[in-house]
Amino acid sequence: MSYLSDLKPGQEGEIISIMGGLTVNKRLADLGMTSGTRIKVIIKAPFSGPIKIEVHGSRFVLGRGLASKILVKIV
Amino acid sequence: MKNELKLNVVLAGQANVGKSVIFNYFTGLHQHIGNWPGKTVEKKEGTLYYKGYTINFLDLPGIYSLTNYSIEELVSREYIAVQNLDFIVNVVDATNLERNLFFTLQLLEMGKPLIVALNMMDLAKKKGVQIHFQRLSKLLGIPVVPTSGTQGKGLTEMLDKGINLVKKQKTGKRCPFKYGKEVEERIQALTQVLSSVNLPYNKRWLAIKLLEKDNAIKTLIKNPNVLHKARIFIKELEEIHGHDSSIVIANERCFVAFQIIKKVVKIAKSPKISLWEIWSDLTTHKIAGYPIMLAVLFLTFFSIFKFGNWFSGLIEGISAPWQGAWGSVFGVSLWAGLGWSALESAIALVALVLPYILPFYLVLFLLEDWGYLARVAFLTDTFMHKMGIHGKACIPLILGLGCNVPACLSCRIMETQRERLITAFLTTFVPCSAVTVIIMGLVGKFVGVGWALGLYLFAIITIFVLGKLASKILPGEPTELIMAMPDYKCPNLKTVFLQTWLRLKEFIIIAGPFVVISGILISWAHLAGWLSAITDILKPITVNWLGLPAATGILLIFGILRKELILLMLATLLGTTHFTDVLTPIQMITLAIVSMFYIPCVALIAALWKEFGWKKTLVITLFKIIFAIGIAGLIARLLPLFMY
Repeated sequence: MSYLSDLKPGQEGEIISIMGGLTVNKRLADLGMTSGTRIKVIIKAPFSGPIKIEVHGSRFVLGRGLASKILVKIV
Repeated sequence: MKNELKLNVVLAGQANVGKSVIFNYFTGLHQHIGNWPGKTVEKKEGTLYYKGYTINFLDLPGIYSLTNYSIEELVSREYIAVQNLDFIVNVVDATNLERNLFFTLQLLEMGKPLIVALNMMDLAKKKGVQIHFQRLSKLLGIPVVPTSGTQGKGLTEMLDKGINLVKKQKTGKRCPFKYGKEVEERIQALTQVLSSVNLPYNKRWLAIKLLEKDNAIKTLIKNPNVLHKARIFIKELEEIHGHDSSIVIANERCFVAFQIIKKVVKIAKSPKISLWEIWSDLTTHKIAGYPIMLAVLFLTFFSIFKFGNWFSGLIEGISAPWQGAWGSVFGVSLWAGLGWSALESAIALVALVLPYILPFYLVLFLLEDWGYLARVAFLTDTFMHKMGIHGKACIPLILGLGCNVPACLSCRIMETQRERLITAFLTTFVPCSAVTVIIMGLVGKFVGVGWALGLYLFAIITIFVLGKLASKILPGEPTELIMAMPDYKCPNLKTVFLQTWLRLKEFIIIAGPFVVISGILISWAHLAGWLSAITDILKPITVNWLGLPAATGILLIFGILRKELILLMLATLLGTTHFTDVLTPIQMITLAIVSMFYIPCVALIAALWKEFGWKKTLVITLFKIIFAIGIAGLIARLLPLFMY
């Protein structure tokens, strides 16, 4: 188990749980990110910047703080 | 009979699905942008005359869901739920179908007549995505029309399908899909209970929202019996699934969408990597991304300033002899003087809009439509986060370098009111093109370019520190960046031009009256001879605290109109353009700092007022005056330590 923010570009993880309260959980759920969802890290911006991910074939940018609240299982 | 030929159509969809292209295709210049009553959310409406129908289109803001996360979402869902609309067109990005389906499912829950426009089909084909749209239509129980907004394909067919839908009176059909057993049972049971409640909403939708613990809906229903039942169901759901009930339902939607996708989407072997994708990787690259960003931004500004300087010189050249002509026609009287100042303000507005704001908007919308601005947000997010806002805020801040007014209006892209206010507050500190004229024309020319650049650095530091403070002081949590990363695509010129035109119109409507009226007022004060009195009143500040010549008091008054007037009038007042004869370098720097920060110009005050109300505008204005005078006075005292 690790955090999404720890994954390297190209690695893929399956969401186990999302910390950080209901608002964040809901927001991510609306974009199709809930437990069990597969996330692939594409690129990470330097200086702990945001990370670009691929979910369900769509690309998103998540702030690093948020990414460090998403617990994933590396697949 | 007349009523029957009128149709109200709503365009709904997530951000970046090409919704505005479709909206523009149908309504062209027959559209107007306003605000939702009492909200800072944009309302875009337009009209189309088609086959004897008068179709009123409403383009809802691009949103990701119909929960109550942002103001846009609340406004949109309230409109869909309550308003008397004939049908909704859900514009869907065919290249991102699954993500878009979550939203479609939520629209379906609301039980209104719905059509799906499967947009960007051309791009999907290129990407090797095949969509069986007839099957999708069957699964969703609504018409699905493949479209390509940029090429105008499928759009009239889509309208025809919608009109058919209206003719058949297929309204409020039962939801064609079902959620998992545990959830579905409770939705249906709660829908039953809700039948006793008399509200103009779809009952199934209300039931789902109640189970999602939606506060807005809870307060709407009030009925203790219903709320009690809802609480029991929620508790049961949470016990079964071990998650918050809202997450359970979101999961159900994801699952349904996933099932549908499995049946309708086929992805052919991944096509070869396109040039755009390489460019996409390059522009978000951790090393290469930054120089590219700087180059793009620098090129943008450099060319706009070059063009703007040339063009505004041209306008000045044309309009300069007009004052003499005005004088010879109307003579010299108070009224003639006031009339001239009104005309002069109007000309000045034109000389600002055409050479600077127009090209600025044009380039910015081009960059946005192309997909580059999202990359800039990605690259600058870290820095923005240090100020308590996120990457999207860089767009207003960049815009501010051109003109603070459009920058302030563009703060609407931020999600929450808190972030909007912080970002707008910060944009008022960004040196706009008028301030650049002062910095370069005064400090850059007579003190040194290094000092001029130093002033920019000082502005950046100021914005940074104030951002940190503002995000500490204002209550509320900072939101994290969550943003869809659009693919690069060829910009749609029609959309870009139309956007530019509409924004320009908005700018003139907001700023125009303020600029002209305050121009008349100030020139009235001038003609009535009050200005010297005001100069005397300001003396303790200008002379004693800032160490500037007393005449600068007048400049600061006129600068409220347009900041570049400070430099222009300085020359007139002091009787020379060779400022080194009359001002010391320290005085020039002090004057430049005061001009940079001291007050939002009238146009900006108008924009702030419109967006945030007069109280916040007043607070921002007062803060800026005190801050600018305070800091400039301090610097005037500190500089001698470094300069001599």
